[in-house]
Amino acid sequence: MQLFSKDRMWRHHDLKPSYDVVIVGGGVHGLATAYYLAKQHNIRKVAVLEKSYLGAGASGRNTAILRSNYRTPEGIPFYDASLKLYEQISEELGWNVLFSQCGHLTLGHSDSSVAGLRVRSENNQLLGVNSRMIGFEEVGKLVPTINISREARYPILAALYHPPGGIIRHDAVVWGYARACDRMGVEIHPFTEVTGIDVENSKVRHVVTCKRRIATGAVLNATAGWATTISRMAGVPLPIVTHPLQACVTEPLKPFLNVVIVSATLHVYLSQTDKGELVVGAEIDPYQSYSMRSTLPTLEQMATYTLELFPWLHGVRVLRQWAGICDMTPDFAPIMGAASEVSNFYMDVGWGTYGFKAGPISGKCMAELIATHTPPSLIEPFSATRFETGRLIGEKAAAAVSH
Amino acid sequence: MKFYFREKIVEAKQGDTIAAALYRNGQRIFSRSFKYHRPRGLLCVSGKCPNCLMNVDGVPNVRVCITPVCDGMKVSPQNAFPSLELDFLSITQRLDWLMPVGWYYKTFTHRMMWHVAEPTIRKVAGLGKVLSSENREYEHIWMHADTTVVGGGWAGLQAALDACGKGDQVVLVDDQSVLGGQARYRKSAGEVPADLIRRVESHPNVHILRDSSCFGLYEDYLLGILQRNPHPGALERLVHLRTGKVVVATGAYETPLLFPNNDLPGVMLSTGVLRLLHLYGVSPGKRAVIVGSSRAAEELSVELSGTTIEVVAALVPEQVVSAIGHGCVRGIRTLSSVIACDLIVVCGPRVPDVGLSAQAGGNLAWSEVHGAFLPSSLPPQVSVVGEANGEGVTGVGAHLPLSKRAFVCFCSDVSSQDLCDATAEGFDHIETLKRYTTATMGPCQGRMCQLSAIGVCAHETGRSTAETGVTTSRPPNPGVTLGALAGPRHHPIRRTPMHYSHEKLGAVWMDMSDWRRPRFYKTLPTSEEKECVLAEYHAVREGVGIIDVSTLGKLDLRGADCGKLLDKVYTHRFSDLRSGRVRYALMCDEGGIILDDGTIARLNDDRYFVTTTTGNLEFVHQWLEWYLVGTAWDVHIANVTAGYAAINVAGPNSRAVLGKLTDCDLASSAFPYMTCREAEVARIRVIMLRIGFVGETGWEIHCPAESAESLWNGLLQAGADYKIRPFGVEAQRLLRLEKRHVIVSVDTDALTNPYEADMSWAVKIDKPDFVGKAYLANAGADTSRERLIGFVLTGSGLPADGAAVVVDGKLAGRVTSSRYSPSQEKAVGLAWIKPAQAKEGACIDVRVDGKLVPAKVTMQPFYDPQGTRLRL
Repeated sequence: MQLFSKDRMWRHHDLKPSYDVVIVGGGVHGLATAYYLAKQHNIRKVAVLEKSYLGAGASGRNTAILRSNYRTPEGIPFYDASLKLYEQISEELGWNVLFSQCGHLTLGHSDSSVAGLRVRSENNQLLGVNSRMIGFEEVGKLVPTINISREARYPILAALYHPPGGIIRHDAVVWGYARACDRMGVEIHPFTEVTGIDVENSKVRHVVTCKRRIATGAVLNATAGWATTISRMAGVPLPIVTHPLQACVTEPLKPFLNVVIVSATLHVYLSQTDKGELVVGAEIDPYQSYSMRSTLPTLEQMATYTLELFPWLHGVRVLRQWAGICDMTPDFAPIMGAASEVSNFYMDVGWGTYGFKAGPISGKCMAELIATHTPPSLIEPFSATRFETGRLIGEKAAAAVSH
Repeated sequence: MKFYFREKIVEAKQGDTIAAALYRNGQRIFSRSFKYHRPRGLLCVSGKCPNCLMNVDGVPNVRVCITPVCDGMKVSPQNAFPSLELDFLSITQRLDWLMPVGWYYKTFTHRMMWHVAEPTIRKVAGLGKVLSSENREYEHIWMHADTTVVGGGWAGLQAALDACGKGDQVVLVDDQSVLGGQARYRKSAGEVPADLIRRVESHPNVHILRDSSCFGLYEDYLLGILQRNPHPGALERLVHLRTGKVVVATGAYETPLLFPNNDLPGVMLSTGVLRLLHLYGVSPGKRAVIVGSSRAAEELSVELSGTTIEVVAALVPEQVVSAIGHGCVRGIRTLSSVIACDLIVVCGPRVPDVGLSAQAGGNLAWSEVHGAFLPSSLPPQVSVVGEANGEGVTGVGAHLPLSKRAFVCFCSDVSSQDLCDATAEGFDHIETLKRYTTATMGPCQGRMCQLSAIGVCAHETGRSTAETGVTTSRPPNPGVTLGALAGPRHHPIRRTPMHYSHEKLGAVWMDMSDWRRPRFYKTLPTSEEKECVLAEYHAVREGVGIIDVSTLGKLDLRGADCGKLLDKVYTHRFSDLRSGRVRYALMCDEGGIILDDGTIARLNDDRYFVTTTTGNLEFVHQWLEWYLVGTAWDVHIANVTAGYAAINVAGPNSRAVLGKLTDCDLASSAFPYMTCREAEVARIRVIMLRIGFVGETGWEIHCPAESAESLWNGLLQAGADYKIRPFGVEAQRLLRLEKRHVIVSVDTDALTNPYEADMSWAVKIDKPDFVGKAYLANAGADTSRERLIGFVLTGSGLPADGAAVVVDGKLAGRVTSSRYSPSQEKAVGLAWIKPAQAKEGACIDVRVDGKLVPAKVTMQPFYDPQGTRLRL
């Protein structure tokens, strides 16, 4: 019985001299890609390289919110497909990722933000995603302890309610995929940093790591925070800048918040874990940086806005704050596809603040692209060429705080 | 002093903490543990462990061992039902075999099973409950120091004096109410000379923050400090202390030893015992067994001699089999016998408290001699002294648990067995081990468990402690309340100078960024928004109306090169604008995306008056300054938004009303559309712009803020004969919509360029250079992109802002603004749609309450398409 099993989740390996596919980045995107490569395309000579421990990057630093109530006709079906995979993933991996579909509320505090939410609800409904506008009274019913007073400085006017959204245990997703990959023969290599990529005749030949040089048929850049660093090794420039994003967590409380709350006006989003901790996230820091050292002003801002919504939480203690780093593209949508400069160098990058939500479907689509050399229609709009043609994706309009 | 515990009155002595008073009154169980609901008693008595978390005056998770008693306080236990002594959920202890580490990942893998199980797990988990919604006062202050010393023990006191000797202004931060550190209760720590404390306290260069915990060392030497009860008016105060140097003198704290039942009430850390004895005069027990290295035990025996505690045995950890007792300690089982006792005093490893230096990027390295992780490299201005730097700390040796059924993590009930299992399953890196088992992630923030967890991990993996390493140190540590972080929470409201006039007129307010603006005026208490807005609309279209537009951003640009700067950052050309003329201004970013709009008036050769949208003023100001950097252009920008108020007088009778108040010739021949004058209105010097956002003859009058109310009321008086009406934002939105005038960030979004918004006329692409030109040069020719169009609803209903546009049953766009148009007698609006339908007369459907309603596309304004009324 699994409950009492002490099998290793993933085994240690020595790096081999060559692989069919090398995946750089041991987070949910890289591992999901490896998983689908092995499972659906029978490509198993795959190595996932991670410079730190598994899930040390954005996969372990996000606030674990899942949703598919996006704004654009490109974004909605993509994230919807991801959410549907997440719904199945515990069963598929035999590993409970604690996906709690508790619902997701995006609050509107101004006429323009309400109009923006309505665009999303309309588009969601037309594209088959469960979301709708609700008034502040119904917000009060869903979250009896939230401040819906008309006298608040920024009263809640209405909200976008998205019942299938929720929270998940992010680390568990990483571990679950890693275990499944391992069982199919994919090698997981934590603490294996990529230091160089050898390109000859517009093709990657070798990946150089801190341990050894390995030959490979294809490389996937599935890093977050260091997407540009890795791509530059292959000579592929990316229109990406990197910003820190901060979050914090409080001491455990008895459950009072059974839905995810997001407020763009208040620059804050929060949820309560099964353990009882309140997880609060901020928007990206306004400056570019690779620093993962958190700051006091951001913590104060998160606290301030949390108390705008839940004034009675003032005596609750914050236990830790942390930062992750986010790769932002000009239109706040990711880049997925093969590099035009290097034919066997694939990219699944630019995931900004929304990468975790897309892990499974990105993995599935990237695996198909790597295996068949043809991009699935779901990811076609996300190719890097859109920055040359100017055909950007309109998620930026909804992405000020996009959790 | 008296306080209430479970509604019973408890007597306390002066200086007591809640825990001390309760212990003196016989309370032994202080909490129930997170997972197994095991009874837990006082352990550290210094606010470091999670064992005494209670609800105090409605606030959950309060460490009662460091919370002073206040008269009348209400204290209650948490997470125990029905009581601390009898907790039904302690049944989970019997089921622990069903709940090995990570059990929740390995069970409920079926979606429905999890769906059913999760709500129960949620309910059982969690710790405290907030019981009171009463607000408390929190403060923020900012301070500076040359040197900050954190910790008021002997090392910190000495460091403070040393820094003073160099002439530094020093802040000394101590988390106790009395200086002296552990010497106050622990003789073996050495005496702190009373003289030293006196010298520090009386030194003019030293500022002492007592009862203050330094919880974070942030970038650029910013210390976050939480000060408790700074004065009777405030519960807590957050001190932002920017310092030149930091001396970390935080000492060390004691941690538990691993043996079965090491969490029983009555098993107490030696420092906890001494604190109870010496700080509060409470005797923790009568018959004590000491567990610890022979040296530590010897030292402690000396400390305890002459107290009410009788030491019946001293054991080295290797001799201990387990603590015995139900609910509290009754004895201890050793390899050879059972010793009866009511107190087990643990002399655990002392851990130097170096979180601050680690947060600042300092590295830690394992020192076998000290048995501790000590700073191996420090950030430039940080030093670590005293016990925090390992002074006097000795390793207790590699004591390995004889049994794996000892608790490592008291916060989440993680046993050494759990850690071993997790390691075997592959979570063998300290960071993954932490995340999988949740050890070190609870309320104690790793203080009680980190060293033991590292020890178990090292043992199980066969790696050294040094190789195993520590997890990342993160602020805030100790934890800080949300209230203290948020501070007084004042969110100022900006009011225009005419605010109180609006109020008298019955304004119904709306928020617009920080400002408050009249949405409409409720003329009678019974009138409805719809009829008020309609009346305001008709006043402007047929008579005259005035609106307060003071919230517009206003920038006064002076200098010979203003035209160059404006040509660079706006899409239109302004260098050739003649004095006395006004031009619409559109600003794009490098990607050609619309950022802001406004009007720019040239008052004279060297002076431009720029308006921005309400919410974007600060951004536009910064953007102009940014593009000025390094140019050597003669441009001076003043933000005069608060200095000027502005009123828009609009409608066919506006000239007649204004004419009563000014000598300025208002005839269109003398003061045509899109021109400006400096003039006197009602004897007030003003800037008048003849512009027309609402589509009628009108003037935007900018006047000094202090005269605005007088001007506003003067206009209302002068217009009384013409039935002048103040109008609000809602009527303005309707009026401008009929004219198809775009509101940036309502009708445009973060990806809109001027061509798509049908505003190519505002882009002078032949200018040599301007921000966004490279992109816009190509975008103009791209006909494949969405377009902003007007539509008239042919069916009935009113689409909401944001409604979907549907063509052939498929999503084809979105409505940005829609209102019922009195002039068209139909709902009209602006919408983004696919280019195929962006043609005069094309048919689209608009979703109204989920139903599709037909509409016709128009590329013309709905009202006065030729714009003749503006020019009348």
